[in-house]
Amino acid sequence: MSQDTLQDSLIEDSAAKLFSTTVDKERRLRAEAGEWDAALWAQVADSGFHLLLASESAGGFGQGWSAAYPLLRGLGYWQVPLPLAETMVAAQLAALAGFAVPDGPLTLIEQGQGNQLQVAGNDGLATLSGTAHAVPWARHAKAALVSLADGRLALLDLQGAPGVQVQPHANHAGLPSDTLVLQQARLLAVAPNPLALARPVWTLGALARSAMLVGALESALEQSVRYAGERVQFGKPLGKYQAIQQQLALMAGDVTAARTAALVAMADAPGGEQADCAATHFSTAVAKVRAGEAATRGTSIAHQVHGAIGFTHEHALHFATRRLWAWREEFGSDATWAVELGRAAIAARSAGFWAGVTAKAF
Amino acid sequence: MQGLTINPGALPPQAEALRAEVRAFLAAEMPAIPELKRCRNWSGADPSFSRKLGERGWLGMTWPKAYGGHERSALERYVVLEEMLAAGAPVGAHWVAERQSGPQLMRFAPSTLAPKIVPRIARGEVFFCIGMSEPDSGSDLASIRTRATRSRKDGVGDGWVINGRKVWTSGAHRAHYMIALVRTGEKSENRHGGMSQFLVEMGTPGLTVRPIVNQLGEHDFNEVTFDDVWVPAENLIGAEGDGWAQVGAELAFERSGPERYLSSSQLLLEMLDAGDAGDARQAEAIGRVVASYGTLRQMSLGVASMLARGENPALAASLVKDQGALVEQAMPDIAHVLFGGQAVPGSTLDQAMRYTTLAVPSFSLRGGTREILRGIIAKGLDLR
Repeated sequence: MSQDTLQDSLIEDSAAKLFSTTVDKERRLRAEAGEWDAALWAQVADSGFHLLLASESAGGFGQGWSAAYPLLRGLGYWQVPLPLAETMVAAQLAALAGFAVPDGPLTLIEQGQGNQLQVAGNDGLATLSGTAHAVPWARHAKAALVSLADGRLALLDLQGAPGVQVQPHANHAGLPSDTLVLQQARLLAVAPNPLALARPVWTLGALARSAMLVGALESALEQSVRYAGERVQFGKPLGKYQAIQQQLALMAGDVTAARTAALVAMADAPGGEQADCAATHFSTAVAKVRAGEAATRGTSIAHQVHGAIGFTHEHALHFATRRLWAWREEFGSDATWAVELGRAAIAARSAGFWAGVTAKAF
Repeated sequence: MQGLTINPGALPPQAEALRAEVRAFLAAEMPAIPELKRCRNWSGADPSFSRKLGERGWLGMTWPKAYGGHERSALERYVVLEEMLAAGAPVGAHWVAERQSGPQLMRFAPSTLAPKIVPRIARGEVFFCIGMSEPDSGSDLASIRTRATRSRKDGVGDGWVINGRKVWTSGAHRAHYMIALVRTGEKSENRHGGMSQFLVEMGTPGLTVRPIVNQLGEHDFNEVTFDDVWVPAENLIGAEGDGWAQVGAELAFERSGPERYLSSSQLLLEMLDAGDAGDARQAEAIGRVVASYGTLRQMSLGVASMLARGENPALAASLVKDQGALVEQAMPDIAHVLFGGQAVPGSTLDQAMRYTTLAVPSFSLRGGTREILRGIIAKGLDLR
């Protein structure tokens, strides 16, 4: 076994151990009620998961995205109510930009995506003003890593900082997705984006969501298959009916496709030993489109197979399906990313299309 | 759900060098092939094109040199396949022989039939068809009735005489040989027992090939009748009764290749050339196809890597084919939504829309119907 796979399986094992034993229905519901799960965050932080992608020189572990996949997938599979993905991305980018990585949960903002934000002042005393919507977990975050439209990265002070007003909102999953109203809010640091990747927050946010979607899809599929095996109607389990088998087989195909696309996108993302971003945009777009489509069809099938019991608050299915509905739209819906891919493909025309597919860049 | 994971495969560096060679070849060859012919994708047959591929060493690439092969990697072969299909090259003449028949003969008749025939497949000179479906046996392949019985021919030797009828046999009219799945014994408790595969030379007395014209008005598949067709004993492939297992062993190769998602590519290319990048509606619809291409390519490559490692990813292959057919079949409907009623009559877009609309219903029938594939997947989910 190579060092890499050893490392990967260690991360996978420890994520599985932590999440499967600690995350339960009560914790998820408390998070939806607005409570910050400090104890769970402390356990995650003790494991160093939030710094997995941050460089070693910045106090992180310098791992690549493939190593992070089991963790991100785990956030969906076990429906972990924490801003872990956001913090991992923010810490990676902060470390790359040379910022001191703030201690605690972090969030992400891409200027120009769902917000009108203006930067004022120079690097030393720069401020950010305007309104940003759907900022995940903003109310609990210490700071936000901001990707500016001019290509720079910035760190925005959040908790109790002057000029920062948080209006709480929730996504489909009931998790914080807040509006930030900023009036000359202080940027702790500003630096050029060292990655050859446009809109790094938006893109890496979508990448993280793709893996999280796969995890939530796997949960919804497993719950559906299990239920189809248990529930008896007309004298036999639902799963013995071809109508049900065909639906679940289609969902399994979608989940497999979304998983493969996510794994490829992870390998094509910058991090760890790899700095190359040539295929990051294409592979992330492919993964987010495919995962979003799988979420749309998969939620429908999972609920149909579950019947009325899956529509109850008591049943656990909605923890997976509500996340699927939330995450398919966050950091760009499948439709939004498809438009980008389609524009690039049309611009490449028949002469450049296939070369673009094989190079994973148009 | 272990079998439902397809890990992406990575192409070796030499595969990319080969890709450049293939592209240069196609840049020279494809201008002579009109767009409408490219629409046929791997259904399009051109024996002279197949021979050119043979001359370049692009057939039987992974086969041992002793059989006329080139002992290159499975992933290098994959690159050649995907480049040919993405360009709409007319690879149909040799496709079945190179994908299935050659490997079957080398595996199950390595010292008898393979040395005589396989090198000619690698040269692009010998083409095959596959005799499986019958009038009363489609998805229910185990119900076939075509039968072979032992028959000694005086002065010639031991052999078998075959009687029955095969249908939907693609390319039987241009093939030199058929590999036919027939009954050599009774069904017993094992529903899949009693079947064997035979090599049948197409000119054999008693064998009649009649065209079955498809809804495009094309002659691609055929009805093949066996009326006391005598074949020598050595034409039994492998052991008597092993037919079903032999067929099953090839299914992963048959169902996971790039031909399972690229069949409608010419229509996509036409849409790209007719499209307006500023039109968000077009961009979204085409972008979703691009995402599916990107994903299926990696799934198909992932299965090719598993096969190269000697694994049998039957379940993963079914997933590729089911998902791939969805993409191929959606293409004319997408074209209809974006360009329906607007394409200039006789334009290449118009031709591709007309052709592909009529062609796609077969894509989820050939090589295993959607329902059969999903049944296999459901079994993988432990539902059956």
